[in-house]
Amino acid sequence: MSFLVARRFSPLGYDRPMLWNRLLSRHRRRLIALLLGAVAAPWAAATAPAAHMPAPASPLAQPAASAASASADADDRGNLSASARRIYEIGRPRLLQVRTLLRDQDSQASVGSGSLVGANGLILTNYHVVSQVALEPQRYRLNFQMVDGQSGALQLVAFDVVHDLALVRMLKPPADLAARGTFAFRSPVEPGKSLNLAAGLPAQGERIFSLGNPLDVGFVVVEGTYNGLVERSFLPQILFSGSLNPGMSGGPVLDDKGHIVGVNVATRRDGQQISFLVPAEFAQQLIARGANAKPITGSVEAEMARQLLAHQQELTARFTALPWRETKHAHYSVPVPQEDFMRCWGSSNPSESKGLSFERSDCQMDTAIFINEQLRTGDLSVRHEVYDGSKLGALRYAQEAGMSFRNEGMGRRTHDLTAPRCREDFVENQGLPMRTVLCLRAYRHLPGLYDVAVLSQSVDAKTEGVQGRFDAHGVSFQNAMLLANHYLKGFAWKRSP
Amino acid sequence: METLALIETLDRDGQPRQILRVSQWPVRIGRAIDCDLVLDDPHVAPLHATLIGGEDGVHVVPAPSLNGVRFGRATVAPGSAPRLPDSGLMTLGATTVRVRLRVPDEQLAPEQRLVDVHQIERRHATVLVALIAFACVWEAFDLWLGTVPGTSGSVLARNYLSAPIALALWCVAWSVGSMLFQRRFAFWAHLHVALAWLLLGIVTTAVAGQLAFALSMPSIDKLGRIVFVGALAMMLWRHMGLLLPTRRRTVGIVIGSALVAGSGLLLFSRSVAQEPLVGDLYLGTISLPGVRVARPQSVDDFVKSAAPLEKTLAKWAKPDDDDDTPAGDED
Repeated sequence: MSFLVARRFSPLGYDRPMLWNRLLSRHRRRLIALLLGAVAAPWAAATAPAAHMPAPASPLAQPAASAASASADADDRGNLSASARRIYEIGRPRLLQVRTLLRDQDSQASVGSGSLVGANGLILTNYHVVSQVALEPQRYRLNFQMVDGQSGALQLVAFDVVHDLALVRMLKPPADLAARGTFAFRSPVEPGKSLNLAAGLPAQGERIFSLGNPLDVGFVVVEGTYNGLVERSFLPQILFSGSLNPGMSGGPVLDDKGHIVGVNVATRRDGQQISFLVPAEFAQQLIARGANAKPITGSVEAEMARQLLAHQQELTARFTALPWRETKHAHYSVPVPQEDFMRCWGSSNPSESKGLSFERSDCQMDTAIFINEQLRTGDLSVRHEVYDGSKLGALRYAQEAGMSFRNEGMGRRTHDLTAPRCREDFVENQGLPMRTVLCLRAYRHLPGLYDVAVLSQSVDAKTEGVQGRFDAHGVSFQNAMLLANHYLKGFAWKRSP
Repeated sequence: METLALIETLDRDGQPRQILRVSQWPVRIGRAIDCDLVLDDPHVAPLHATLIGGEDGVHVVPAPSLNGVRFGRATVAPGSAPRLPDSGLMTLGATTVRVRLRVPDEQLAPEQRLVDVHQIERRHATVLVALIAFACVWEAFDLWLGTVPGTSGSVLARNYLSAPIALALWCVAWSVGSMLFQRRFAFWAHLHVALAWLLLGIVTTAVAGQLAFALSMPSIDKLGRIVFVGALAMMLWRHMGLLLPTRRRTVGIVIGSALVAGSGLLLFSRSVAQEPLVGDLYLGTISLPGVRVARPQSVDDFVKSAAPLEKTLAKWAKPDDDDDTPAGDED
């Protein structure tokens, strides 16, 4: 296990080698690798010149209402196709591709999508689409290209790193900007009334339409179904069954009236058509506070740290408020988290094994916050292994337990994080003595944030034991201590019934 | 007739190859048949030099030649007739010649007792057998620790033999070195050296790990690792000592400097990477419950004791100079 947060999600703005969850058991990892191979082939085909070019756009944008009536003549071809066509008509003038270019050349480093959502060329996209520009403005710049080929430079205005959203503004909007109009949200902001997540969400099973420019091959409309919010997710995300591809990140997702219900953000590599959207409410909140903001010219690190600190405060509070789950082991109480916003996987080795038998539980959050290509943060994971070494005897069991204890990775110094620094000792909780290591790493560019890892191995019995590890990424020092304390107090020795 | 001097030509090992008893001066040295000392060396002239005895010793008169006469590294100027140095050594062409002059009332060094290497080896044999036996037991125990019950005999045998074979090859390599420099194979002597120091290092490391666990003092484990590296250096030094017994001091200085330079480099790179200077990030030993002596802390006290980490990490996090560290993956 490592500090590098494993994500099951892959942001869509990057046409790059895929990442997958390193924390999965070997068996599951192999399965996923297999599927990834299968995914890679169609990608190659998709990059070949194909008939996916967008139709020449009409110079004048059609307002949403007239677009809706224009679709009436297409009814005989079937309703679904007609709505998709209507959605495309609504989207076309307001949809754009957001490109990250190298500062001194026109080569694109990454591409994503965006939508016109406010006056003076205000564009909504994902934070991860503009992250290179936000973090390294001296190396990158932003550009947009509309469906009809209009293009120009963009400026970063505001971002919400936790929900992976950003606002950018056109430096010199095209002349017909006013005529293009902007996307409306499904649940408009009412003055004096706070937003309500549920109000902006479609009905379960409702057909919704994702727009964007996948893999830089052309603008597309993807029809799919709204399936509610992702279960056991700390950060609310819409589960969209539709094929999202890299490059569509930041594109809007519309209901059949053409109103924004969410923003494309991620997809699961190990599934089919399992995609994720940021609920529109967070975009509306960002627009409410960022629409009139001045362009960001300096470093974003202080603001990013502020947002992450607020997130970890809430995460820590909610996590430590939950009691640990009951474990069934005869002698040990082990801290296993509730599955409110974590997902646990278990495994064990075959019972006929002549060596150390173990049972393993691996719990982690599905949502991690994207900071840059190398760094995901803002999540927790809890893991343990229960050992039975009765077939080995005391000496060999101690040897095996030591090997397992020793080869836990705590990470090395990287661009983003310091090397780990640890404190270790024997710790006893409720009659259970343990060898415990507490390691911390500081974020080098985000002041006040730390990764914390707690590794603990019981040392009470000759041929059985438990080894647990807790990881929290991107928490304050105080909360790191709080979480470590909370975790270690989840261990106890149980008197046999 | 009275012997005035002995003139010897020496081979590469410094052993006399050819001896001439001198009863009258001068002595002519060269390749020609009519010389007093005839050298079979193509780098020598037919008449290369003439030695003349005098009151103050022997003088060398070089004859005209391509390669000349040398005292050590200094070439004797043609036309001069310098006195032979007290060592009595000179080089003509590629041949080393030693002149031993008769000295009146010479006090010879007392006779030395013959050092019988085999006898020494026999005396050490008991120790060596004990070392081998201990190594075998240790290896068997280590192997047993690392396998599960019911591992097949052939796998055990294969694993068991790998270390002794590696050790034997190591000692054979050194013995070949001994053969080269000392003209004897000295396998058992090298085995003795290797076993003694390796076992010292391995046993110290193991004991240090257990002690560190028992007392909850990771620094003991680190100390054990330092001892291990020291033992390896000692082993190398002793191996070299068997090869070059007369150069022990020089070899010791070379190995010592290499050790200091190597560890200095390692410490520097580790401190740059913010890694612990010696050993692992944390103590990896888990031992039997009964071994533990240190009393455990409460969770609250333990977590509180981690507070000073904040200060160190703040120092480490300073965005100094180097964004050169690879921004790559880690695992």
